[in-house]
Amino acid sequence: MNIFLRAIAVLPLVLLLTWGALAAPPAPTASSSFTVPVVYYKLPNGLRVALSSDHSAPTVAVAVYYRIGFRVEPKDRTGFAHLFEHMMFQGSQNLGKMEMIKLVQQNGGTLNGSTRFDFTNYFEIVPANKLETMLWAEADRMRGLAVTEDNLKNQQGVVGNEVKVNVLNRPYGGFPWLDMPQYANSNWYNAHNFYGDLKDIEAATLPDVQQFFKTYYAPNNAALAIVGDFDTAEARKFVDKYFAGIPSVPQPKEPDLTEPRQEKEMKASKPDPQAKRPALAVAYHMPARNTPEYYAMGLIDQILLEGDDGWLHEELVQKRGMTGNVEGGINLLGNMYNYNGPMLWTMDLYHDNNVKDDDIMAAIDSTVERIRTKPVDQKTLDRALVKMRSDFYDQVSQSNGFGRADLLCSFALFDDNPQRINDIETQFRKITPALIQKTAEEYLRPTNRTVLTIEPKAGESTQASKWGN
Amino acid sequence: MRNRVIALTCTMFLALAWSLPPSAQDVTSAAQSVAAKKQSPPPGSAPKPFHVPQPEKLSLPNGLQVTLVPYGAIPKVQITLSVRAGNLNEAENQVWLADLMTSLMKEGTASRSAQQVAQEAASMGGSVDVNVGADITHIAGDVLSEYGPKMVALLADVAMHPLLPASEIDRLKKDQLRNLTIQKSQPQPIALEQFRKALYPNHPYGRVFPTEQMIQGYTIEDVQKFYKDNFGAARTHLYVAGKFDTAAIKKAISEAFSSWQHGPDPLIDIPKPVTKHDLALIDRPGAVQSTLYIGLPTIDPSNPDYIPLQVMNSILGGSFGSRITANIREQKGYTYSPNSQVSPRYRDAYWLQVADVTAQHTGDSIKEILYEIDRLQKEAPSDAELAGIKNYLSGVFVLRNSSRAGLIGQLEFVDLHKLGDDYLNTYVQKIYAVTPQQVEQAAQKYIDTQKLTMVVVGDKQKVAEQVAAYQGSGM
Repeated sequence: MNIFLRAIAVLPLVLLLTWGALAAPPAPTASSSFTVPVVYYKLPNGLRVALSSDHSAPTVAVAVYYRIGFRVEPKDRTGFAHLFEHMMFQGSQNLGKMEMIKLVQQNGGTLNGSTRFDFTNYFEIVPANKLETMLWAEADRMRGLAVTEDNLKNQQGVVGNEVKVNVLNRPYGGFPWLDMPQYANSNWYNAHNFYGDLKDIEAATLPDVQQFFKTYYAPNNAALAIVGDFDTAEARKFVDKYFAGIPSVPQPKEPDLTEPRQEKEMKASKPDPQAKRPALAVAYHMPARNTPEYYAMGLIDQILLEGDDGWLHEELVQKRGMTGNVEGGINLLGNMYNYNGPMLWTMDLYHDNNVKDDDIMAAIDSTVERIRTKPVDQKTLDRALVKMRSDFYDQVSQSNGFGRADLLCSFALFDDNPQRINDIETQFRKITPALIQKTAEEYLRPTNRTVLTIEPKAGESTQASKWGN
Repeated sequence: MRNRVIALTCTMFLALAWSLPPSAQDVTSAAQSVAAKKQSPPPGSAPKPFHVPQPEKLSLPNGLQVTLVPYGAIPKVQITLSVRAGNLNEAENQVWLADLMTSLMKEGTASRSAQQVAQEAASMGGSVDVNVGADITHIAGDVLSEYGPKMVALLADVAMHPLLPASEIDRLKKDQLRNLTIQKSQPQPIALEQFRKALYPNHPYGRVFPTEQMIQGYTIEDVQKFYKDNFGAARTHLYVAGKFDTAAIKKAISEAFSSWQHGPDPLIDIPKPVTKHDLALIDRPGAVQSTLYIGLPTIDPSNPDYIPLQVMNSILGGSFGSRITANIREQKGYTYSPNSQVSPRYRDAYWLQVADVTAQHTGDSIKEILYEIDRLQKEAPSDAELAGIKNYLSGVFVLRNSSRAGLIGQLEFVDLHKLGDDYLNTYVQKIYAVTPQQVEQAAQKYIDTQKLTMVVVGDKQKVAEQVAAYQGSGM
């Protein structure tokens, strides 16, 4: 599928994302409701712990989320939060370089880590009987790193190649997921290059690594979720045994991440010498998280942008034939639940040279104006709610429990309330056609958006030089 | 689906990835200094049993096969029509005609407009998803459980009564032309095209991309004929997995599909792939990385050696802890996401190592890949390394069989390759039976380094000299 024709996946990581739900004995009748069991508590050192058992498959997902994402990284060290994430696999006191990975794999499991806007996560999915082994290992690297100059140099090479394969050595590299926040935001924390300038990545030192760990990788700045086939009392015992002794560390005050209200439409154009066709993306600033308007935007996304019944698909693809696909959503590096700061709702499309940007924008405007000027009918709202509920069930079951752990950790870190996982559907149900219209009036204003176009141009790209090389 | 351009965005920040068994020289002095007081991980408790969910199978008089697997706690059901038709069924001048036909299937049926199809699926919490592969075309939807029977009826309508309207073909051809151009501007599809062309010079598997002229020439009659020649009950297997009301689903299947004509039997066209050393260097001026595709034809899943081959592949390059990844990523830092795989089609397969490597280490990377193949051919893996990879494969097997889509994928694999109903139940047992010698022999027998097809997509100026040693027939 997608860019790798006929199903050759170059990043085997994708496999992780395709695993699915949890097994259970077949139910005689199907009924469309699901409650997630949640046990939530804190250790005296501040570690937030969320447990959600499901005995239907003999597997368990263990996830540790640290409340440090790529927004908040040292200003002269773009890309550092992500480089640091790689270092968390290079060795801790009791696990040398790559021993963590060997430990997980040889016990029949898989693992990964990722860096996002407001957290960095590490997770394992293993046979259920290996829960204690994984908790021991995660606690070991929460206690401290044992990494060397060689490890750092090696991972600087790996990360440099990661940036090359995903951004520099391909057309549309970074479009729009990495580019758009840089154009649409005005606060440095939201608007810098999260993947990192190659020069900054290469300049990182071992003391930088140790300092970053000392500052942010503390139990009181983290959440641990366990999802799957385990006994709650026993799991609590293990968590206590391995994590309770790790000292807490006073956390620095979070910098001001706020974005001012946008009052004027912004336009940017990026020449891309590797591209052969133009592309266009539009991003609007989102309402603040967890407000009624935020939930309304979730439904607006479903109505306008998600699926073949989306209004933008109908207008731009089906009716006008301007593109083959309009894609996007809330938080292109995650989902609408796992962030905690200013966010964008983004759409993007690829088109032919003879389709003009102004015409595309006119088609987008005519579609978006429909939702700004008239309340949606009940049938449209009902359909959006069903789509949302269906997506949500996928989220709480995907990747053998990791999808659920993602929500539990996000809600623990950002809201101190993982029980929210069972309240989400209720919040969407409260949204009325009137609130959808009011939300669209304010947040889908043309003056609240940034339009970014990719121009297929040979020769020197001004944007490319920004990457340094 | 070929009409989506950006696939990597969310995985890219999934940073880590592969692993590497540290060999003695990897252990740094700092690590050695703490080695003395290292604790061992707690081993965990006794393993819990796992049983693959058991399917129920039935068929209709017209030849339609049906497999139902009740599964999971989540109130959703996946319904997949798996049709034995795809790019295999295209003539030499018909590349992507299967894709064009499948796109047109979403443009309405005899009784529903395109918008109605889209809205009905959405109001069940799903969508009608179509995609074309070499051997199989999928028409599928994943919906809330209570809508299972309705979704069966909708998918049946799309599959049996597509309108294939002439009014939409120009727009969809335009989309294909754009996708073709965009895909051919990316290094991995360029490499794949060349690799397939080298292995299958006279077979549909070797034709990855059409020419623009081909697409421009397709008519609605071509599309309608392709549908008529290739779709029907006898080529179709319907899979249902998830939470569903069995009686209601069976009733819906019988009502919706009984009237479908038997249609053609599956086309059997097994290729005779070329196994021969060759290196193609495709110039991509300015490329900061070289994209490597290195591989050769191998045995298909019906061969008893396929399981030892899988184990060997996982040790060599196909897992987080594999040797090639250890070498060129974690020791050398040449690359981010190397991976090897066995890629099967019906009675056909190839082994392939891919990697995007930093340009100045293109030659070094090939050298190290060959070194690791050679090492596995000369020396069987240790019992410990093999035991670790067996645990990994059996663990991943459990994960693969623990989702609706994953289960359907497994069952379809068994059906396509005719592996027998017992295959999944005995898979783990067969994995654990593989010996170190079998792994060594699989590397010797199935990866002849003198016969590798190598494709390098990179900046000729930077890499020509580096790969010169691998050009020509002598290596």
